[in-house]
Amino acid sequence: MKRRGRGIACMWYPIGFTVAANPSAATVKVNEDGTAVVLTGTVETGQGSLTVLAQIAAEALGIATDDVHVVSADTDTTPMDTGAIASRTTYVTGNAIALAAEAARDILFNAAAPMLGVKPSQLEAYDRKIQVKGFPQHAVAIGDVAHQSQFVLGQPAIGSASWNPPTVAMDPETGQGKPFSTYVYATQIAEVDVDDETGEVDLLRITAAHDCGTAINPMLVEGQVEGGISMGVGMALQEEMLFREDGIHVNPNLTNYIMPTSLDMPEIDVDIVQGFDPTGPFGAKGVGEPTAVPTAAAIMNAIHDAVGVRITSLPATAEKILMAIKDSREQAQKQISA
Amino acid sequence: MSDEEKVLEREHVQFDTELRSPEDDLRLPAVVPRDPFPIEPLVPEARQQTRAVGQRATRQDGRLHGLGQTKYIDDMSFPGMLYAKIKRAGIASARIKSIDTSAAEALPGVMAVLTGAEIPVNSFGPSFQDQPVLCADQVFHAGDGVAAVAAVTEQIAEEAINKIVVEYEPLPPIFDPVVAMNDDAPKVHAPDSNIYATKKIRKGDIDKGFAESDHIFEQRFSTQMIEHVSLEPHAAIADWDANGRITIWATIGRITLARADIARTLNMPMSRIRIIGTVVGGNFGGKNEISQEPALALLSKKAGRPVKGVFTRVEEFTSTTTRHPIIMDYKTGVSNDGKIIVRKVRLVLDGGAYCSWSETTLGKACILSPGPYNIENVLAEAFVVYTNKTMTGAMRGFGAPQVCFAYESQMDEIAAKLAIDPLEIRLRNAFHEGSSSPTGQQLHSVVVKESLQVAADRFRWQEPAK
Repeated sequence: MKRRGRGIACMWYPIGFTVAANPSAATVKVNEDGTAVVLTGTVETGQGSLTVLAQIAAEALGIATDDVHVVSADTDTTPMDTGAIASRTTYVTGNAIALAAEAARDILFNAAAPMLGVKPSQLEAYDRKIQVKGFPQHAVAIGDVAHQSQFVLGQPAIGSASWNPPTVAMDPETGQGKPFSTYVYATQIAEVDVDDETGEVDLLRITAAHDCGTAINPMLVEGQVEGGISMGVGMALQEEMLFREDGIHVNPNLTNYIMPTSLDMPEIDVDIVQGFDPTGPFGAKGVGEPTAVPTAAAIMNAIHDAVGVRITSLPATAEKILMAIKDSREQAQKQISA
Repeated sequence: MSDEEKVLEREHVQFDTELRSPEDDLRLPAVVPRDPFPIEPLVPEARQQTRAVGQRATRQDGRLHGLGQTKYIDDMSFPGMLYAKIKRAGIASARIKSIDTSAAEALPGVMAVLTGAEIPVNSFGPSFQDQPVLCADQVFHAGDGVAAVAAVTEQIAEEAINKIVVEYEPLPPIFDPVVAMNDDAPKVHAPDSNIYATKKIRKGDIDKGFAESDHIFEQRFSTQMIEHVSLEPHAAIADWDANGRITIWATIGRITLARADIARTLNMPMSRIRIIGTVVGGNFGGKNEISQEPALALLSKKAGRPVKGVFTRVEEFTSTTTRHPIIMDYKTGVSNDGKIIVRKVRLVLDGGAYCSWSETTLGKACILSPGPYNIENVLAEAFVVYTNKTMTGAMRGFGAPQVCFAYESQMDEIAAKLAIDPLEIRLRNAFHEGSSSPTGQQLHSVVVKESLQVAADRFRWQEPAK
């Protein structure tokens, strides 16, 4: 008979490297028409980070995402970057790009100030214009300013910057220190049906509430959460590399190494928890890795809620769950007869 | 004109029935419009909006992905390009007595053969440089490479590696990380111990904590070895040009580190090496270090042609990094009202044959192992151990999914024993703004309680299950 259960799991996860320096550098060039090019040494690994980095540059320059082109991942031309690892791209590379964009923007402010008859400190970049703070009608198109700056004043609007998250080394004996600049938090809740005659698990739905500071692009955050959950489902229920006694891998192929397909995925409800981290670019932290962290724990707690067995070794295959159910019934039987 | 046609005209709907003429912009692919009745949005597309942050902007590379026009390594080709294959050991632990490549070299179409002895500095790794590019004297796990071949086709390269004869003297292997910690266990690398890194977090007084606890929970949890299974396997093309400058197109998440590692293994100045990171078809931590790139570069140097190498799915499993299996012992003391007073954690990570990102995984797993809870007394100890298995390394979460499985499973055990709702017991213990982490760090922008509440509300946790 199928028995329903639900389980909750929360987690914390750091952004960036453990103590070790993991800097990013970036260059932002504002073209003469007010569009921009970003140079970054990070790599697009499918998560959409280049779009997020374009959004950060656009926000700092007061232009739209589509106005920014990102050039990435060429050691001859792009600045140094620690890369797409440790959920650090939005936070660390994003901070470097925001700083580089601000440096380019300051050159534009210096060019626009005499055009508008104010001091550079009184200006802001918004809606593809350089405008006077509090007086948005006093404005010049950002393209006109960039053109003026480069071709009349001879000061191309280009900025470079780097950023490294601040940490404090850990004491070797006690581990006390500040290994990371910031952390993110999340909760996932899973609902399952477990067949107590076969041990099979039907994963029905997962509700995920993830913190990433400011969500630079909520759609891409949701995509990360859904992808992370699929990895968590594989870890919880299916995936396992198995070895023969002599150390030869038994299942090095996708016919024997079972992992989730779209048919194994539950209904997923994603919520982005409101947050703002003052140390991140526009309040952002990161989201890549944490999405895969609490899934297996939530599913195991749901299995326990459904059939009362605690699975302590992953993956929770049907065989393992059925064995645990049988054991627990035998235990109960013994207690009754005793 | 019928009413229907008038409506269509008013809405500027045009049916795209004509074939494309040469005047059309040929750079745009011939695709049928998605919707013959486009709905004009009231606001500009998210990518066109200012205030760019917070917009649900579609990806700039989305159209190319959708049309199958993204160029991955396997889509790239150069004139005269050769294909590389790597001979795998197929034995977990052995001394290499001899490697005979003569039959492979004699095969028509084979342009270059490479062994570990020809690699200038035959070791690499992000923390410790303990991994050979190709094994020269000893193999440490069955997926190790022992020789590489570049040939005019993949099939010839495959045939050539089958003709390479390697003579091994088997060594006693070790696979169980707990047994590997014993003094008398066979040693994978170092003469002294298989434990190659440790981490310790100590806060408060655990003995006092256990003495003050009303209930003590003690459990062991363990996890399995997992592959990243990226759609795109590890792949690269190396071109050593006549000026002695190397260009490598690689599917790798960290080009700055990759260049440093390649410069080291080839003993070359960095200014002569260019790494171009192509769009990575899935990383998840599996492509955070170099693999075959130095071998491809040297094959290209020998052959005078560009060389491409693409791992098979089998090689992805046997010869690249995986997720650490961890054996986790948790002992936790709580008060009657469900407050965690003390937690003692001991983690043993199966480190596989090489360090790779194990040191980082060890550190993160250890720091995160007590969970997002205010606990005054903590002792967490972690060990990572060499075994003769595929190396374990970076994978989405660096040990965090494993320890989360342990600390959250135990949390539910505590909740059940004390008859407290699982949500409630977490809210009672969870970090708040300004909490002190197990490493004594004062935490900021902490929203773990908010995430619990938001998830519970959306899930309708308080309502009885249907």
